[in-house]
Amino acid sequence: MNEEQGLSDQYGRASPWPLFVALGLVVSEVGVFLGLFTVAVFGLVLFGGSIAGILTESGYASRPWPTLLGFGGLLAVVGLGLVVWQVPLSAVTLEGFGQNGLLSRSVAIVAAGVILAAAGSVASVAEQTTV
Amino acid sequence: MAGEQLVLTGLMAVLLVVIVGALARAEDWRSYTPLAGGGGYGEATGHGHAEKPGGLVRWLTTVDHKDIGILYGVYAVVAFAVGGIMAMLIRVQLTLPGGVIVGNSYYNSLLTSHGITMLFLFGTPILAAFANYFVPLLIGADDMAFPRINAIAFWLLPPAALLIWAGFFTAPLTGNEIEPAQTAWTMYTPLSAEQANPGVDLMLLGLHLSGVAATMGAINFIATIFTERGDGVNWANLDIFSWTVLTQSGLILFAFPLLGSAMIMLLLDRNLATTFFATGNGGTMLWQHLFWFFGHPEVYILVLPPMGLVSYILPKFSGRKLFGFKFVVYSTLAIGVLSFGVWAHHMFSTGMDPRLRASFMAVSLAIAIPSAVKTFNWITTMWNGQLRLTTPMLFCIGFVSNFIIGGVTGVFLASIPVDLVLHDTYYVVGHFHYIVMGAIGFAVFAGIYYWFPIVSGRMYQKTLGKAHFWLSMIGTNVTFFAMLALGYLGMPRRYATYNFDGAIAPLAQVTTFHQLATVGAFILLVGQLIFVWNVVTSWLEGRRVESHDPWNLEENDMLGNEFSWFKEQRATALADGGEEDESVMADGGQPGQQSDER
Ligand code: HEM
Ligand SMILES: [Cu+2]
Repeated sequence: MNEEQGLSDQYGRASPWPLFVALGLVVSEVGVFLGLFTVAVFGLVLFGGSIAGILTESGYASRPWPTLLGFGGLLAVVGLGLVVWQVPLSAVTLEGFGQNGLLSRSVAIVAAGVILAAAGSVASVAEQTTV
Repeated sequence: MAGEQLVLTGLMAVLLVVIVGALARAEDWRSYTPLAGGGGYGEATGHGHAEKPGGLVRWLTTVDHKDIGILYGVYAVVAFAVGGIMAMLIRVQLTLPGGVIVGNSYYNSLLTSHGITMLFLFGTPILAAFANYFVPLLIGADDMAFPRINAIAFWLLPPAALLIWAGFFTAPLTGNEIEPAQTAWTMYTPLSAEQANPGVDLMLLGLHLSGVAATMGAINFIATIFTERGDGVNWANLDIFSWTVLTQSGLILFAFPLLGSAMIMLLLDRNLATTFFATGNGGTMLWQHLFWFFGHPEVYILVLPPMGLVSYILPKFSGRKLFGFKFVVYSTLAIGVLSFGVWAHHMFSTGMDPRLRASFMAVSLAIAIPSAVKTFNWITTMWNGQLRLTTPMLFCIGFVSNFIIGGVTGVFLASIPVDLVLHDTYYVVGHFHYIVMGAIGFAVFAGIYYWFPIVSGRMYQKTLGKAHFWLSMIGTNVTFFAMLALGYLGMPRRYATYNFDGAIAPLAQVTTFHQLATVGAFILLVGQLIFVWNVVTSWLEGRRVESHDPWNLEENDMLGNEFSWFKEQRATALADGGEEDESVMADGGQPGQQSDER
């Protein structure tokens, strides 16, 4: 085992993750509903990352990477689905991005999903090749 | 615009780096042992020494139900103070017909935030504080069923409060572009859909998050009470407080997600041009139905656990068991079910179908029956009992008294012809404040004083406690009785000024009663200042309790599970050599002595 223990190993009744899960959800909601692109992306990445962390810490998952990949994939699908379902094709342009509220929100969701999924796959591959 | 975006992006990037850094320092996630223990706390990795880290980090990372209970409690008291200051500003404003200190729109902001703060940031969290700390102790559980979800639920609340109050800070910064919402706590459309102010969105988001938190908490309490009961605790001897928390959690589970969905629909209407609540197609009525389908259960969500507190504490100082325990449980469950069938009594004057209206009137009158059952049981418990008028007991008796006035005025409002006269007047305001302040507030104080020795290990100051009670009792009744009278005089609610034409209401009397209400509010304020002073100073340097039974309950064999836990706790602490050196006076735990508080 490791020499240096993390906080939740040392202490029976402490975990750093709940605070960040909550913060992630808050920032995601604010970002998505108010249409603040970077805030939405950051919030969703934080939310997804903390969920992967808390699931691993509490033993519901053995590694965080599949959760990242799964949650990221889900976000990407939801975001793309929203665009396909609700945004007219002609509006899906670079200019439309600034004008169509739903389009920019959906792109934020897709972006967060892609970041999470990419992080999950890269880390997973890296882990398997280096250890 | 581009500049703002750049700043935001930079801010987010910095935040990301800080968070990842903090987590990397705090955690060694390579050490997580896969799939051991299945989500319980602690057991997952076998090499823990202490329970919690020290200092601030302890409070930020705790998943211990007692710590989370204290966090909820502190949070709720802060919210109570904020909501209370808003209330005082409202009362000062209304001492003269023309208004005294604020303009109309600022008044509306205060009114809205006061209601939302008191109901969602004080009411629900303070009950969660009691439930988190004491339900596991009462049912003999080690902790909540999902300690981490418990912590997540709490941490959603501080940002929720910031969002709800944000408008007060952004208004001066943005030249009133982002103001606090002015929708009243009921957020009726089309008003709430058409106010362009982004402060409304912030408030809706905050409220939504507080609803998510309440729902997570409720799921946790249900799972805990069903699955974590210790040996010897079963459905037949489950204590009354846990029963009410269980019922409350059931109500939350059905009511809050609905409010959440309705608010998302409203947010979509506001931001993405959907038309759920468009006028002309019944959208206005749709909002009212959705809101009150949540809203009426919400008032019982707020009152059931306080009823449980009183049912639990009042017998302890009457020297006997709760009269008709079973019927108190049944009436709790009955209220839980019936409370979903009365919502349209808030809408009698909207022009809805009279036949529907009559059926809602019938169910509303019926719900008074289980409430009355409880009231009679409390009175019967005290009847010929050995009453000990300690501070928690005084607050319990105050609860019963105020609840009777609040309940009876509610029954009058449930009658359609009466309601059509009194709807949207101060009579309604008086009715529900008798309940939310006079009953819920009083039960909360009873609980705080009763369990203060367990949570702090010290005793509060008795004289200050009594002063708090009497000032609260007198203040409540002066303030809210004046409001009932104002309602009879025809004073409409939610007005920033009242320079009426004499044909509407007799201005002189109305002014007098408003001034009375303000005087009462100041009496209340003094009482609450004493309360805060008492709690803070006693917590820091009050007399340490000397026995595990500060209320002399063992005499009558009424020591609850939580005090038995306290006994064990103290035994271990003494064995560890802790806190022995404090020389303390006896605190009334001696047998045969009446003064159990000092
Ligand atoms: C005895 C049972 C009760 C009955 C029959 C009753 C009946 C009513 C009725 C008919 C109204 C609508 C008045 C109007 O707007 O014209 C009302 C308003 C209200 N009641 Fe009650 N009530 C009862 C108990 C309670 C309890 C226990 C609470 C709080 C925990 C409560 C809180 C409220 C609130 C907050 C309002 C005002 C809502 C608003 O318009 O802002 N009531 N009540
Ligand atoms: Cu109601």
